[in-house]
This record gives sequence, structure tokens and C-alpha cells, in this order.
Amino acid sequence: MSGAAMQTTERPPLMRYLILGCIALIMLYPLIWLVGASFKSNAEIFSSAGFWPNRLDFGAYAAGWKTSTEYTFATYFLNSFLITVPKIIVTVISCVLVAYAFARFEFWGKKLMFGVMVSTMMLPLIILRMPQYLMFRELGWLDTYLPLIVPSAFATDTFFVFMLVQFLRAIPRDMEEAALIDGCNALQLLWHIIVPLLKPAIISVIVFQFIWTMNDFMGPLIYLASVENYPVSLALKMSIGATEEVEWSNVIAISVVALLPSIAVFFAAQKHFIEGATSSGVKG
Amino acid sequence: MAHLSLRKITKVYPNGFQAVHGVDLEIKDGEFMVFVGPSGCAKSTLLRMVAGLESISGGELWIGNKQVNAMPPKERGIAMVFQNYALYPHMKVYENLAFGLKLAGTDKQEVDQRVRHAAKLLEMEHLLDRYPKQLSGGQAQRVAVGRAIVKKPEVFLFDEPLSNLDAKLRASMRVRLTELHRTLRESGQPATSIYVTHDQVEAMTMGERICVLKEGRIQQVDTPTALYDRPANAFVASFIGSPEMNLVKAQLIQGDGQFKVQIGQTCSLTLPASHEARLKGQTDGEVLFGIRPEHIHFHARAQGDTQEVSVSYRFMEHMGSEIFLYVSIGDVPLTVRLPADEAHRISAMARGDVLRLHVQMSVCHLFDAKTELSLLQ
Amino acid sequence: MYENKRLGFMFVLPFLLGILFFKLFPFVASFALSLTQYDLIDPPQWVGLENYRDLAINDPLFTQSLGVTLAFVFLAVPLRVGFALLVAHVLNHKMRGINFFRAAFYIPSILGGSIAVAVLWRFIFAKHGLVNIILIKLGIEPIAWLADEHYSMLTIVLLFTWQFGSSMVIFLAALQNVPASLYEAAECDGASKLQQFWRITVPLITPVIFFNMIMQMVHGFQEFNGPYMITEGGPLNSTYVLTLYIYDQSFKYFNLGYGAALSWVLFALVGALALISFWSSRYWVFYAGEKDIK
Repeated sequence: MSGAAMQTTERPPLMRYLILGCIALIMLYPLIWLVGASFKSNAEIFSSAGFWPNRLDFGAYAAGWKTSTEYTFATYFLNSFLITVPKIIVTVISCVLVAYAFARFEFWGKKLMFGVMVSTMMLPLIILRMPQYLMFRELGWLDTYLPLIVPSAFATDTFFVFMLVQFLRAIPRDMEEAALIDGCNALQLLWHIIVPLLKPAIISVIVFQFIWTMNDFMGPLIYLASVENYPVSLALKMSIGATEEVEWSNVIAISVVALLPSIAVFFAAQKHFIEGATSSGVKG
Repeated sequence: MAHLSLRKITKVYPNGFQAVHGVDLEIKDGEFMVFVGPSGCAKSTLLRMVAGLESISGGELWIGNKQVNAMPPKERGIAMVFQNYALYPHMKVYENLAFGLKLAGTDKQEVDQRVRHAAKLLEMEHLLDRYPKQLSGGQAQRVAVGRAIVKKPEVFLFDEPLSNLDAKLRASMRVRLTELHRTLRESGQPATSIYVTHDQVEAMTMGERICVLKEGRIQQVDTPTALYDRPANAFVASFIGSPEMNLVKAQLIQGDGQFKVQIGQTCSLTLPASHEARLKGQTDGEVLFGIRPEHIHFHARAQGDTQEVSVSYRFMEHMGSEIFLYVSIGDVPLTVRLPADEAHRISAMARGDVLRLHVQMSVCHLFDAKTELSLLQ
Repeated sequence: MYENKRLGFMFVLPFLLGILFFKLFPFVASFALSLTQYDLIDPPQWVGLENYRDLAINDPLFTQSLGVTLAFVFLAVPLRVGFALLVAHVLNHKMRGINFFRAAFYIPSILGGSIAVAVLWRFIFAKHGLVNIILIKLGIEPIAWLADEHYSMLTIVLLFTWQFGSSMVIFLAALQNVPASLYEAAECDGASKLQQFWRITVPLITPVIFFNMIMQMVHGFQEFNGPYMITEGGPLNSTYVLTLYIYDQSFKYFNLGYGAALSWVLFALVGALALISFWSSRYWVFYAGEKDIK
């Protein structure tokens, strides 16, 4: 590691902490306030700027969970997971395979395909939405989760492929050569040697795909018609349906719940990130 | 059983660059062969072609009585020790050693036996439960060697295994590896080995035979002593031996049945009779005159095979056990290696001072000025 | 093994199929679509470039939307990238709590894209929402953020800027790769901290600045959740970004041909700006001894 942080001898660290602390506070206050507000009554929400509720009222959670539709948020959360979990699985498998190909193998059209991959990362997705919609309509996949999951099985989340390729490029090839001499074929190499070394990167893929899929709004909006199939993101939107007559306390409570899985996954993965970053079996 | 045969091996890269130009080499069963040469000489490329990690563009490679050009590494019966050890970081040492055997379907008992035997040979039984990141450089390298031993290969391949170790460790590992080779041979498991290094000290001390390479071509294959005494060309002459052999441009002049070598304007050295015989038929002209620093002395030798030269002092380096003296004949520089106890004779000298040295002509070398081939073979 | 072209191709096959089927084909199809008039019920009718002509001449809403989109991108993206760089710079010191701050700044960027946060935003900028409560407490006149077309843009710009954490983390990594010895040499040469920042730090991380700029620009043009949920494109279309317009035309009014044409205009816009950026990068992006991309 040649790099190092700038050494400061002039400005006292206190100033730095103060600035950072202020920014952090302003940045996080909306979220802190959100959590506090979920325990407040409607009247209190609209009157005080402080985030601490007068009393802890779980009522909003109960009401919000039940929603004003015929389904509770249990259904909506289940739906979100029914989309997210399969999507993550197929994403990891396909992206690792494809990244492995780009990082190691030679094949026809490799440079072209890599270039296409990088360009699609910069493509505004909305241009593909309608044709994809028509395509899925022909296949009869509307109002199912297939349009949301299947593309990921073909490594179309090029951001992840790119990220994995970068990680793979940093792994020295010695071990793979040793493994070749030990008798591995390509898949054995991938499974025994490369995947364990890619663990931190794969965890990143899982975390990001989880959070992005939970947050995905436009996709479900376009493809899902029946309310019983709605994931959390659409259900949340529904709760703001009518413009002014919004039960804000309920909506706020359920928003907090909606954010919890993402936060939980993020913090759970931190432990693995740190483990992965510090352990290294390769010399040097 | 594991005799190696390289016949007209060539390597051309897709961009057209030819790295190896028709290498012919026979390696005997159980022999410890060293590939040595400067960086870019393709010694590692050759090794990797033997391993199957690089494809062979032309020629034939035979291991034992099988032509293995098209065979993948695992079918060639080879094992390789990498410069960076290449241990699997997520497996314990035991599993690192056992991995290849398990892949081949060897039964558990046999695997365990071989792993423990190798661990014993390399004195690393206490390391079996550790992870690679918990090992020191020397320990990691031993594990890498152990991984090769357990496979009981036909051929051992070493790719500059000691380059990443510090000098002291390198010296002790060198001894360990050489002893290991001997032990394996004596225990009935002859270990044909190819050892790649850029360090000529390693080459000289470890190799039974050394193959000197330059830019993808073999310069000379011979025992260390032969390479030292009878280098086939100026490259080998200057590559083997430290400090480098002095190679100076000189004029070969014949007269009165004698051969003389003229350095600069003033210095003329007569070649001994032994050289005369080998130089018969050689025309006068420019040559490269070679003399090793350790063959220039302060005093004439009792054997009477030295000639005196006048040189001017430039400077000296005191190495503790010996002195490197830098002098020049006219503007031709020379390096001289003297024992430390001569230091007092030159400690008071200043740049430009003249002193007399004695050149041991019986071991001097002559090379063609254009082809650089030895004129004495 | 890695020289085996057929094996490599097998591994990359899913990607090839995916790109062809889910990206390339729809890409071409969308252009074809933009040359038609199609409402999902009757078969598509070929109209040539009429859609494009319409949006160029006949469509004030398009002009409005275009202006709004450009205003949004040119406001929000520099703010986001700039903030990311500044905070990364302040954070780039050996100090305790660096992990805490990094997480604190990063969390908004992962939650910010969610509907939950959009809802939150809609709430805190409401007439009696958190922001106005604070303004009142500070003695300032409350602003009708969501109802006033002069201020509505700020709410979505703020949401976009709030998520600077992801860019910041990338900047932080880049800053930590600038060798300390360069700063030390500059200090010996008499450079102030500000000079060090502009003359050493910034030039050495121009590749990363460039990368962040391009990526955030693309994200900016694609912003949908915020405008959709918080302001619904209003009031008076003051936040009616192109993605909303495209969505409405395609999925609300089922003017598929027109929607496709609009999306191609957006694509061309992003493409043009990206190309200009790439071209300009030759003049201000400095790659210090980068390894070959093989």
C-alpha cells in the first residue's frame, strides 16, 4: 500500500470532526426523524421538528402493516423476497461465469463484447423498457416475476460483471496454474479456487442486488398488474394513492419497515467485507 | 523413466514475436538441470512449455517415452514450484498438499501417508494445520515444494523459487533443495528436475548440468566447472563467474611462432603453448581477450604461467574477505580480485598511480570479435 | 486452458444471448418503434420521422420536459460529484471514526433510491413537513416546496445530491492512492493546503473524477423514482423530467411510437454529452502510468 492519507499538522482534528459531524447529522437527520416519527401521532408529526416521540406508539405500525387493501404487508414483503432471492441467485451464478470468461479466457469477439458490456453500463435503460414490455407480453410473462428475474440469469446486470472482472484481474494467476497442474478443469478451478477468493466481491454483488431489487420501482410498476403480486415498493406507492387524504403516520411507519431489510443486509455484510479485505493468502 | 527430450522447440506468440528459437536438449533421468540466463532469455517460457502452461509452437517435447505436446499439465506427470508459492489461501497447509491427490481420486489413506511423508522430509509437520497467511516466506516455499513432492511426479519444475526470499534464507533453502534432490534419488525416487534461475550462484552450486540461455537460444549446456573453465562464447564467459570476466578488445598478432595479444598501444601479452596449439590457422586481427578477475595476481605464480603488466590504479572496494581492485591499461578498464591481506600494498595509492600485476595466461580466453565464439575450442 | 477459445466462448454464451435478446434486440426494436404509431390495440402504422418532427416542432411539453431534465442534470450532478469529492477530501485523514463517517455518508446512497425515502422526502417537504417546521423555528417564512414551481426542482435535486455517498467512497479510495510523498514534497516546496488540493490532489484523480462524472450524469438522466413519487412531475410540469414523459407516453397513454421517439432523443442526448466528455477528457484527464487493459 503506497498510498496514505494526507498528514495534517496544522488544522486540529477537532475542526475536522466538527465539520464531518455536522454534515453527517444533516445527512442522517431525515432518517432518524423518520424512525422517530413512526412512533408519533399524526398531530405530533406535523408539529415538532425533534425526532424523539412524546411516547412510543406502535399503533402506526399495526395500522400500516394491515394497509387499506385486502392484503397485509406480510404479502408484500413475501412478494419482494420472491423476486429478490431468485434474482440474486441467478445473478451471482451468471455474472461469475461471465466475468471469469472475460478475465481469463480468449475467445472470438472478446474485445467487442467487452466494449459492448461497458457501453451498456452507460445506456439509459428506459429506452429498452417498452420493447422489453412488448417482448414479455408476447411470451405471456406479464403480471409474473419472470421479466424481473430472467434477464439477470443472462448476466445482463453488466455493472456486476464489470466489478467481478476488476476483482478477478487483481487475483494473480499462479494459483490457477498450480491448480491446473494439480488437475483441475475449468469448473473445478472456478469452484475450488476462484470463488473462495472472490468471496468479498460476491458478497458485494449480493448486497447491492438485494438493495437495488428491493428498491426497484419502475420494473414492478410496468410488469405487475394484480395487487396480490405487488412487492413492497409498489405497495408503498399505493398507500399514497389519493393525494391529500394520506394516513401519514401509517405510511411513515411502514416506510421504516420497508427500509429495514436493506439496512440489515448492509450491516450484516460489513463484517464479511472487513474479513475479506484483510485476509490474504497470496504472498505480498 | 523420466528422461526429457526437447527437440527443436520453438515458441511464437500471436503478435509474431518469437521467444524460443529451436531448442534441442536432452535431460537425463534423475538429473538436476538448471536453466539460467538474463531476463528475457525465455528460460521461464521453456519451463512453462514443459509444464503445459504455454503452448508449444513447434518441435517435440518428450517426457519418458511419450510425446506430450498436446497433453494438458495434469497428464504430463509434472509438478511445479512457483516463484510466488501459489498456495491456496483459503485451505490449510494439509489441504494445499492434498488437493491434487484428492482431485485425482487417490484414497484417503494414501493421501494422508504421502502428505505426512512430505511434511517430514521438509520438517514442516507442525505447520500442517496453518493457513498460508500464517506462514513465513521460507515456510511457504517449503509447502510449495511439499505440494510437488506428494504428487510423485516424473519431472520437478522450479520457477525461480528462491527469488522472493532474502539472501540468508535463500542460501539455506538452496542447501535444503539440493539435499532433498539427493535424498529422493537415493531413496529410489529419482527426481528429474528443471530449475530456472537468473542467479548464477544458484546455478553453479545446485546444477549438475547448466543450460545457459540468451534470447531464446541455448548458448551452452555443460557442468558448472566446464562452463567456468571452457565457456563456448563471450556471453557465457561473462555470465558465469562473479565478478564478471574482464573482456577487452585486443589485437591477435603472430610472429616468430608465437601468438601475442596486444591490448591498447603498450601492453603485449604472449599466449602460452597450450593456447598456440588450439589457435593454429587463426588469422591476425581483432579479438576479445578474456581474463577472470581472480586470475590477475599481485605476485607472479610459482608455476611461472603469469605475465607482468603495468596498470594504473583507479579505485578499490574492500569486501571484507577480499578486495575488488579497479585498474586500467591505458583507457581499458580491468577488474581484479585480490585477497584481503594484500590491502596494505594499495591502501596508500592514488588515482593514476602505476602498479605491476601478474596475469595468469594459462587460463585466459580468446573470443572472435564478431561472432563472440571461443577461439580455443 | 485459457487459450481454448471454444471453452471461453461457452462460458460467455449466456451473456451473449442475454445481450442479444434483452439489450440489443430491444434497442433496435425501440428505434423501429419510434418510426411507427402504435397503441397496442391496432397494428403498428409506419409514420417515418413524423414522431420526431412532432416533438421537435409541435410539442411544447417536450421542450418543457427537455429544459427541466437539463436543468436537473446540470444542477444535481455537479452538486453530487462536488460534494462527494469535498467530503472525501475532508475524510481522507488518519482519524478515528473514519469507518463510522464513511458508513453514515454511504447509507443515504443505498436507501435513497427506494420508494420509502421518496415518500419520506414528499413528506418532509410538505406544507407542514419537517423542513418547514424547522424554517418556522428559525424565523424564516415557510416555502410551499411541492406546490411552488420555483422550488419543486430543488426537492428532487436535493434528493439526488443527498445520495453522494457512493461517489464519495470511490473518491476516497482514489485519494488514498495518492502517495503521501507527493504532499510532503509539495510542502517542502512551500505549497499551502489549498494549493496542494488543486495542484496535486485534483490532477492526480482526474480519471476518477471523469468516471464519477459520467456515471452520475447517466444516473441523473435516468432519475425516475424521485420525480414520480415526490412531485409527480409538477407543479405545472416544473419537474417533468424526460423519463416521466416517456413513461407517461408509453405506459399511460400507450402512444408507443411517440414514447420510443422520446426515449431515443434522451439516448441521443446522453450519448452526445458522453461523447463530448470523452473528447474533452483528452485535455484534462491525466492517466499516471496506467497498466494496459488486456
